[in-house]
Amino acid sequence: MTQSIKLVGLDCGSTTTSAVIAKAQLVRGALGRVEITSLEPVFRSETVFTPFDDDRIDAARMEQYVDDWLKTVSLSSADIFGGGALITGLAAQSTNAAAVSRLIEARLSDSLVVTADDPRLESWLAFMGNCHALSKAQPRTPILNLDIGGGTTNLALGLDGQVVTTGCLFVGARHFQFVPGTYQLVHLSPYAAALLAHLKINRHIGDSLTPAELDAILDFYLMLIEATVLGQDEKLASEIAQRHIQVPLNVSELIGQKFAITLSGGVGQLVYAQRAAGSPGPITQFGDLGGELATRVSQSSTIASRLDAVVPEGLGRATVYGLLKHNTELSGTTLYLPKPERLPLKNIPIVGTLGLDATDDELASMVDLAGRGAPGGCIEIGLEKQDLAAVRQLGNRLANCLQARPLPCDRVLILLVPENLGKVLGNYVSRWGTLEIDLIAIDEVPSRDARFLHLGRMQQGIVPVWLYGMQ
Amino acid sequence: MTPKSLTPLAHIAVPAPRPDEMYATRFCEREITFRGLKALLGAADCSKAGDRHAGLAAANELSREAARLLLSSLTLEHVYERPLTDDRGRVDAVMRVNYDIDLEVYGKTKHFTLGELKNHLLRSSADAIAGVGRGLTGPMAAALAKICDVHELILLSQKMPRVSRARTTLGMPGMLASRLQPNHPTDDLRGITMLIYWGLSLGAGDALIGLNPAIDTVENVESTLRHLDKLRRTIGVPTQICVLSHIKTQIACLERGAPVEILFQSLAGTESTLTGEFDVTVELLDQGYEAMQSRGVLRELTSQMMYFETGQGSEFTYGKHNGIDMATAEALCYGLARRYDPFMVNNVTGFIGPETHLDNFEMIWSNLQDHFMGKLLGLPMGMAPCFTLHSQITLEGQQMATQLLTAAGANYYMDVCLNTDRMLAYFDTSGHDDQTLRETYGRQPAPEYLEWALGRGIFLRDSQQRVVRGPNWGDPRQFCDSDEELRSLLAATPAAHGFATAGPRPADEISRQVKLNQAVGRAAILAELEIDELLKMADFRVVATEAHSKEAHLNSPELGGRLAASDLEHLIAEGNQVQIVVSDGLSAEAVHHNLPNLLPVLNDALDARHIRAGRPIVARYGRVKLAEQLAVVLEAELVIYLLGERPGGDAQAARSLSAYLVYRAGPRSTTTASPSRPVFEYSVISNIHEKGLPPLEAASLIAEKVFQILSLRAAGNRLEKLLQASRDG
Repeated sequence: MTQSIKLVGLDCGSTTTSAVIAKAQLVRGALGRVEITSLEPVFRSETVFTPFDDDRIDAARMEQYVDDWLKTVSLSSADIFGGGALITGLAAQSTNAAAVSRLIEARLSDSLVVTADDPRLESWLAFMGNCHALSKAQPRTPILNLDIGGGTTNLALGLDGQVVTTGCLFVGARHFQFVPGTYQLVHLSPYAAALLAHLKINRHIGDSLTPAELDAILDFYLMLIEATVLGQDEKLASEIAQRHIQVPLNVSELIGQKFAITLSGGVGQLVYAQRAAGSPGPITQFGDLGGELATRVSQSSTIASRLDAVVPEGLGRATVYGLLKHNTELSGTTLYLPKPERLPLKNIPIVGTLGLDATDDELASMVDLAGRGAPGGCIEIGLEKQDLAAVRQLGNRLANCLQARPLPCDRVLILLVPENLGKVLGNYVSRWGTLEIDLIAIDEVPSRDARFLHLGRMQQGIVPVWLYGMQ
Repeated sequence: MTPKSLTPLAHIAVPAPRPDEMYATRFCEREITFRGLKALLGAADCSKAGDRHAGLAAANELSREAARLLLSSLTLEHVYERPLTDDRGRVDAVMRVNYDIDLEVYGKTKHFTLGELKNHLLRSSADAIAGVGRGLTGPMAAALAKICDVHELILLSQKMPRVSRARTTLGMPGMLASRLQPNHPTDDLRGITMLIYWGLSLGAGDALIGLNPAIDTVENVESTLRHLDKLRRTIGVPTQICVLSHIKTQIACLERGAPVEILFQSLAGTESTLTGEFDVTVELLDQGYEAMQSRGVLRELTSQMMYFETGQGSEFTYGKHNGIDMATAEALCYGLARRYDPFMVNNVTGFIGPETHLDNFEMIWSNLQDHFMGKLLGLPMGMAPCFTLHSQITLEGQQMATQLLTAAGANYYMDVCLNTDRMLAYFDTSGHDDQTLRETYGRQPAPEYLEWALGRGIFLRDSQQRVVRGPNWGDPRQFCDSDEELRSLLAATPAAHGFATAGPRPADEISRQVKLNQAVGRAAILAELEIDELLKMADFRVVATEAHSKEAHLNSPELGGRLAASDLEHLIAEGNQVQIVVSDGLSAEAVHHNLPNLLPVLNDALDARHIRAGRPIVARYGRVKLAEQLAVVLEAELVIYLLGERPGGDAQAARSLSAYLVYRAGPRSTTTASPSRPVFEYSVISNIHEKGLPPLEAASLIAEKVFQILSLRAAGNRLEKLLQASRDG
């Protein structure tokens, strides 16, 4: 089986916004699992500055960009199989980020999830987009990917292609904005303003930074990144450091181990470019500190010494590729889905994980929680091997629970199973279709510690799945 | 290019059939007789399983030699005047096409006896005998093959080179080409690409890159054709591409503008097999030929754009041989193929199983005959001596066949990577084998392809201008953009045990893996069902089939489709909705590996829905057809038949189970008052094993299908159409 599909990736960051549209194939592998392969970009948008209107994203211009790009490739939203759109960094901090994400989602159909301010997902995607293949190829080398963009540095530590832990710092090129080619300030983010206050640098919009002041700012950024990478918690304890940490990175697994670093994001790409050219670029070339930050990163022995071990093929163009390739998970082919027309289902909260060791009270409470919100809830199932007794036991217990405390009639219960057990578990839970419950069991989707789930429409016997709101 | 014009069937003159006559001779005061030409032809061949099962093989060597003696004394005219007829006494379309011969050539040779013709061919130069075949029908070629020994089959074949041309030129003396067959169990384009890269790096694929698709739909075949076309263009290799789907699918692809370069179809030697089983008529083949001449991608380059596959035994397997022995039926295929001046003919004798060719000798002998008969009738014969694990044919026997066939001048072999077909569960020649034979016999690839491969460093010319393996031979990385791409392609390719080589051979550690996996498959086939173990699992009724031994079960498939008389008389109508039947089929191991997880779930499902099921049955040495007899005897609405699949290329495949859901769509009971024959519909769920469709999920899938079948009272295609209609609202 081979089916041609279209994927869309859109990255709306602190500095720039860009989109990639790719064609790909849905292919059934030798063991029956369907995968997305032969990904080939057919359109790369121009990289535009993210349109801001003061502290808000200019929604009308953003909408126009999206419409123009889709029009260029004659792509209607109905033709989109999957992918994703991210609003990240400072754009995600804007007051209307959530409204803009809904607007983009409406433009790009229900085959796509638009997320804003989801730093762990951004870190995860950056790793997957930049070095998943590298990590698979060197399964014993821990790789820490630093996705340094305009507003944030998203960190993700992975081993053998799997992300182990993620973190996020408010460190990026665009907290300080200048007249291009100078250090005359034109804009300060709230984090930049706080940092200036901490450093006792009394500069305002219109003033120019001195080289010493610039060094102090870049020293602080480098200290934050290096201390995070090395797990030097004492250096991160100050109030100003804590303010710059959105999600702390737990690197205890790295202590005493050799690990490699890869870079992505706008600043990450500049580091690779500077290393290839052998010289730093012009100052504040894009009206921000991208080039300067890249130079400092290149000069950091903590980072530079670990950069040569592995070099990503895309040299840092990570997030959009990650969105295209990895944001959409594909279910297995044997699911419990009595009514495929029930899909798509959006923004389903994942209320928790149930394993064999759950007590009856825990089980009842989880089912109750799943049934509270509309249109329903999702429970992750901790069955990780083909075990008849376990499937029967958990299936029958859930069936008993649902029989005793039926879900409200308009609520759907979704079971998410990492193993290929969806159909059989769903059948036991529904007592082979005899219980009157709205139940879906989706399998072969690995857990990502996400808080929300989106199920796309069934195609070729599989369901595209999006997990977001990562914890 | 001037295409060959096709003689309308009605314009082909065929003598009227005659009643069978007696052929008799005396040896040592014993009279030996044969009734009719079919019987004489059958008895004159070396004994082969298919002919033995059909009652056509000679009872002993004396009888065989008597038949050969009689045959060699018959003139070509005698054979010409006695067209072989079908079971209704009619000359079928395949036989009729065989009479589309050059009557002038025939006129010059018709008074030769077959023995005299053989002597003439042996005594004459290659040039002198080049056109003799144009005056021969298939049965004449078969008769001649039956009076030749091994040396004669080889010597005469190599005197008759058959050259064909498309982008590459095949069949010239001193050449040996290969068809690259990158089959994948799910048509995964990554796995297919990997096998193509690997094959090309071995210098294979100069005859064709030809894929047997797992899914024969226009959409899938078209997208696969476009993928192969893109790969070929990107790499720049001068060869041809083909997706070997049914001819109707390929014609539909051609009409959609897909790059159909070579049009493929399997042939059979009787019209009842060709049409009844392959869904092909001579008219359809004519339509395909004409479509290629007018719209085929290579029409400006060549008129040879057809590709046929044949092999002894298909007519027997389908029970539609019309009393014609396997070699003669095969020659009839060649008489049909000749009509279309093909670019390639590929012989796959050995593919079917032990019911047609039991062992190495039978397979090798048939291959030599086939190659000779095809070449004699003017065809560009490629050979694929092959085997399945449930026969007694081995890799060693296959290799002996290729050594002999290379001496005989076969145009090409297959490149099935590491001998293991990942989709069709059989074993064929490999790219390593092709190169080994080239080096042993001083053969070269097709000249156009060779130039490309020299440029790539796959081959190089040594100081004496000999073509030898180059630095890039055997390295598929050369076609990939990165190591990562190679890794990703390899990950999608089953049974790829490694690239290491030793000279033209796979390195020893690779060969050991290939052979070990074959041994695992054979062990699974030879394993017996452990009935006591199964009885611990469920209250099975144990029944026997007419196959009283493993040997009978493997060699005579029809026996496993019938209940033993002693059990038949004890079974009575029960009228249940469902009857579960378990049988070893071709892998008892598949049953023992899957049933412990599968059966309890299936029983839970039937209980939950209050479906009446009979006490389960286990049948040793069973085949699929047994389900129909049990459905009739027990008056069961639906039989769930769980059966071990034929093991293929790796250890997992030896543990693969299938579930046949056999629904009786016709009358539930057959009585004198209602004598209609029962009609059965099949839904099949296959690939059940831990690494494929795990047994827990499989049981659940089977149960849902059972609910649908009982609810909609349909199975198979009819069920799927009803379900689709229901989905469409």
